[in-house]
Amino acid sequence: MMQVKLRLNGEDRQLRCEPGDTLLRALRREGCFSVRYGSDTGETGAAAVLLDGRLVSADVLLAAQADGHEVTTLESLNVATGELHPIQAAFVETGALQGGYSAGAMVLAAKALLERSPEPTDAEIRDALSGILDRETGYAKVVEAVRRAATALRGEKPGPLDPPILEPIGLEAALAIRPPADSTPDAPLALPRMVLSPDVGHTAVVGKAEPKVEGLRLAKGNAAFADDIELRAMLHAKLLTSPYAHARIVAVDDSKARALSGVHEVLHHFNTPHVRYASGGQSWPNPYPYDQVSFDDKVRYVGDRVAAVAADTPETAEEACTLIDVTYEVLPAALSASEATGDGAPVIHDETDSVGIYDAARNLSHHIEGQTVSDEALEAAFASADHVFTQSFSVPAQQHTPIEPHAVVGWLDEDERLVLRSSTQVPFHLRRMVAPLVGREVKEIRVVKPRLGGGFGSKQEMVTEDVVGLLVLATRRPVSMVFNREQEFISSRTRHAQSLTFRTGVMSDGTLVAQDLTVLADTGAYGTHGFTVQSLTGARGLSSYNCPAKRYRCDVAYTNRPVAGAFRGYGAPQAFFALESHLDDVAAAIGLDPIELRRKNWVRTGDRLDIVPRLGERGGVEDVSEEDLPVVTSCGTERCVAEGVRAIGWQRRDDPSWRQPDDRPNIRRGIGLALCMQGSGIPFVDMGACSIKMNDDASFNLLAGAADLGTGADTIFAQIAAEVLGVRASDIIVLSGDTDVTPFDKGAYASSTTYISGMAVKRAAEAARARIVERAGRLLGIEEEWVELRDRRAWAPDGHSVPLEDIALNALHTEDQEQIMGIASHWSPDSPAPFGAQFAEVEVDVETGEVTVTKLVMAVDCGVPINPLTASGQVEGGMIQSLGYGLTEEIVLDGQGRPLNAAFGPYWIFRADDTPPTEVIFVQTMEHSGPFGAKSVGEIPIDGVAPAVRNAVRNATGVAIDTLPLTPERVWRALQGR
Amino acid sequence: MIPASFEYTRASSVGEAVRMLAAGGEDAKVLAGGHSLLPLMKLRMATPSLLVDVGRVRELSYVRDAGDSLAVGALTRHFDLSRDELVARHAPLLAAVAGQIGDPQVRHRGTIGGSIAHGDPASDLPAACLALGASFVAVGPSGERRIAAADFFTGFLETALAPGELLVEIVVPKATGAGWSFQKFNRRAQDWAIVGCAVVRDGSTRVALVNMGASPLRSPGAEQALAAGASVAEAAERACDGLEPPSDLNASAEYRRHLASVLVTRALAEAGGAPGQEASP
Repeated sequence: MMQVKLRLNGEDRQLRCEPGDTLLRALRREGCFSVRYGSDTGETGAAAVLLDGRLVSADVLLAAQADGHEVTTLESLNVATGELHPIQAAFVETGALQGGYSAGAMVLAAKALLERSPEPTDAEIRDALSGILDRETGYAKVVEAVRRAATALRGEKPGPLDPPILEPIGLEAALAIRPPADSTPDAPLALPRMVLSPDVGHTAVVGKAEPKVEGLRLAKGNAAFADDIELRAMLHAKLLTSPYAHARIVAVDDSKARALSGVHEVLHHFNTPHVRYASGGQSWPNPYPYDQVSFDDKVRYVGDRVAAVAADTPETAEEACTLIDVTYEVLPAALSASEATGDGAPVIHDETDSVGIYDAARNLSHHIEGQTVSDEALEAAFASADHVFTQSFSVPAQQHTPIEPHAVVGWLDEDERLVLRSSTQVPFHLRRMVAPLVGREVKEIRVVKPRLGGGFGSKQEMVTEDVVGLLVLATRRPVSMVFNREQEFISSRTRHAQSLTFRTGVMSDGTLVAQDLTVLADTGAYGTHGFTVQSLTGARGLSSYNCPAKRYRCDVAYTNRPVAGAFRGYGAPQAFFALESHLDDVAAAIGLDPIELRRKNWVRTGDRLDIVPRLGERGGVEDVSEEDLPVVTSCGTERCVAEGVRAIGWQRRDDPSWRQPDDRPNIRRGIGLALCMQGSGIPFVDMGACSIKMNDDASFNLLAGAADLGTGADTIFAQIAAEVLGVRASDIIVLSGDTDVTPFDKGAYASSTTYISGMAVKRAAEAARARIVERAGRLLGIEEEWVELRDRRAWAPDGHSVPLEDIALNALHTEDQEQIMGIASHWSPDSPAPFGAQFAEVEVDVETGEVTVTKLVMAVDCGVPINPLTASGQVEGGMIQSLGYGLTEEIVLDGQGRPLNAAFGPYWIFRADDTPPTEVIFVQTMEHSGPFGAKSVGEIPIDGVAPAVRNAVRNATGVAIDTLPLTPERVWRALQGR
Repeated sequence: MIPASFEYTRASSVGEAVRMLAAGGEDAKVLAGGHSLLPLMKLRMATPSLLVDVGRVRELSYVRDAGDSLAVGALTRHFDLSRDELVARHAPLLAAVAGQIGDPQVRHRGTIGGSIAHGDPASDLPAACLALGASFVAVGPSGERRIAAADFFTGFLETALAPGELLVEIVVPKATGAGWSFQKFNRRAQDWAIVGCAVVRDGSTRVALVNMGASPLRSPGAEQALAAGASVAEAAERACDGLEPPSDLNASAEYRRHLASVLVTRALAEAGGAPGQEASP
């Protein structure tokens, strides 16, 4: 132990530290929870603080190195309860905080910058933020927040944050625009542009850029995240993971680990229950296969669980992991789907007790088929086509990389019920799924979802909670477990890698007559989400365009690779990369404009989506009647394309002087397009529920089962309820995702929250409203149907009104007393699709193969965005995540299955200073089945960038690349071969 | 990702640091900014028993005009180097390189001495020092010595520093008005170079490369070609003669060779100076 003397947030302090303690560790021990773990060596910047006024990363600085220095954390700005510093306020107003996990680092970076440069340029702002990774926002709003903060700190008044309204343009008119070759892209916009629909009525709160309801707690760095609590006698858990891609665990000797002072429990195969399960957080009954156990006698990938230790300190737990003696019998491994499904491949799931594996001997977790016509009719359609094209694509395993890794703190409450405070997207599924694994009943478990620092589907998986539950029950002590960054990369989940082949029959005029999609997918060591993700690949690959004959065939293979699971887009990004690349090439091959070919075939309002109900394990032409096919109820595709064409300056792609600038001979420019669609929840399955109660001051507690993972769900719930109840969004106190307190919700996935859970909120608010208007009618002396609620009052048609507060007091205290409340749930037989048109402008350096994306434009029809600010934040962040999928991101393993890039740096995600300008246009449509016309927006932005960039590269260079990501070397090699 | 346990001690002068290192023996390591060493320790790729923190040896943070050269203290942070007026005037290459390293947090902590002493072939500052013809001053138990950059980098993460020696100063010959260029090819702004190239033309031409071998190195092929009056294109073609660049997940050796020749071409073009000027200062 040593003493470290420093000045912390203006106070002289002496900290007792070990030499190896990082400043991050020491500061969190002092209660500075705004300093957060994102990585061990500074790459995420989540732990950035000011050291003598300069931004430094506290995770790669020893506490001892700060001795004698001045350390400033975000907490230094938190001087008044309930109030924000102007920089914090700017971050909240602009929607710069989604998860807000790195808010402390960002606000401090802004503070340091603005102190030395009160009027910074965008480049300076982006440079100042460049060491703080944000997986959620796409940075546009963060940069805008710093701009606004600068304005405010200079004593000027920042401008309004109303989204600009665009005059709509028709597609023909947009295509007729001939932008000059030297036209520069518009300045990046932190606000979306809106194209309004006449079908959408007036609203007071819905449709407005309301600040997030949890803005204050995020901007102040308050203890809002799973790992931000410390309990008395809390233990720290660490996981020992497999060094082998495939091995049998013959024996485990934990005696040395147990003998280490401070170690409380060591769990492994030989001392834990053996219960088969599927880790994907999905509705009951969970889809097959049940091919995992908490600690198996076999490891199936490098990073698979072997043992877990709970100890007094993380250091001791980690030390103990190295003292566990494991005897492995190393087995041959299959490191690709083609290898695993080939002859003589090792059988990865040779156990006899797994349930629901499609064909374990052939390493197939699932097989999926679906077709709209018979095989004979399909071949006849191909035979009738003027042209038939076959093209194959390959897409890699991308990792979610939430900046907050999986974190869970578990304890036994005073009634000895197991409480799990977990960074989960699925609190209710988790409660049900973890119960049998820890040997407790559902009623003995409570799951609490705090704020999340990003999830993207990785936290729809139960990858830590059963371990913590078992450790809590074994030790009867609180236990905290946080994945380190390497584990987050390897031991959580990835996107499914796939090989896809499209065969397309098309007439010379561009009419599609036959589509045949064949997929081989890699689910990694376990089959979680294998069926549903790959079903969606078929659905999305074969729904965007009308075609009389469609077929889908898919094998999902086990491999000895990290486990694939749910990841934003859920099979759609793979499908759209193949489909939209393929159609671009088909159009070129038959001499059609890429927009013309698509327009000839794209689905419109009223069209039926014929492949979706036919996807299953049985395959064949199922007996689905026409009226049972889902109908497109609202579709803004054509208007989205028109807006995007105008915004990107589409026609420059045919201008040689623009494509090949005179002054930069090594540069070729291009513009590409991709269309996409997604769903809004899972029809007939997803259910959300909400309860609302009215308080004395006409505020309302809104309890929703839904799990806001940083997207803004809680905020739009407040807006929906406020709209119904005639109050301000700030009058709604939202609490969500606590299984003891809130009603059920399926959780945050499948783009369901706005559409399904939002509608439950609307219905619950309407139920409460019914009670309010009845009482208001009595107080106003009119029939209740004449009562209108707005501006926190109940109004009679003649202009008389009564404050809602009076109604609340009357109901709670004085007359015919009652708790005014409403509760409702909602499911839907529909899953209306949002549609999008994604455009990308690129520069390709033909000497090096480097692709630089210079602008991204996405026009989205998500119905009526409830909150254009949070919705556009989803689109901006999704585009940049998709840009990574297109250009840089791929988990790479060596020949033994060991990860080569399980760290930021070697695994590249975009940062503030290399993110291209993004522009978001919302094309309103009225979706009558959604709350106030809304459809989903969370996933569709992940679909289009990779193919749009790929098509832009082809436009620029003539080279078609069908493998992601488009690394410089891959592009260079393609250019060599052209 | 927690380092093995170690002793920590803080030096307040060069002399004290040298004494502490000597007392700590083979397993003692110098801790400056920590951005190279701490990650290695967390991965347990380095397990020093003693860290000698020189972060408070204030006498080592400076940039001084030393007549024909600049003297840069080993503890000068990248951020300060990138903004120093003397450096901007007399060794602008060094300022440009320092300003492109990592991110603000790295530039605020990382030191030139740490970067040089680490000897990472993927680091930019060693290449800049090679191109500038710099030399390094080391202090050890037996006194002070000066090592030319060209003789300093001996292998992968290996340098001519003896155990117990502390790098204290970087001596950079003034290259006022010389042509220079730094070309960095990377996947993200400011990140590690996949390949980098630093060129200084001050009568002769020095071409240094990043990530093109086991250590930071100069390109003998390109330099000899230029000295013999070859064209830029010819020099670029010979840039990788005798080099063995690594293959890794960012680039194959073949692609690195290609990139190196592209970057050498661009660097020579930007640095200016026509072929044939080589011999006449």
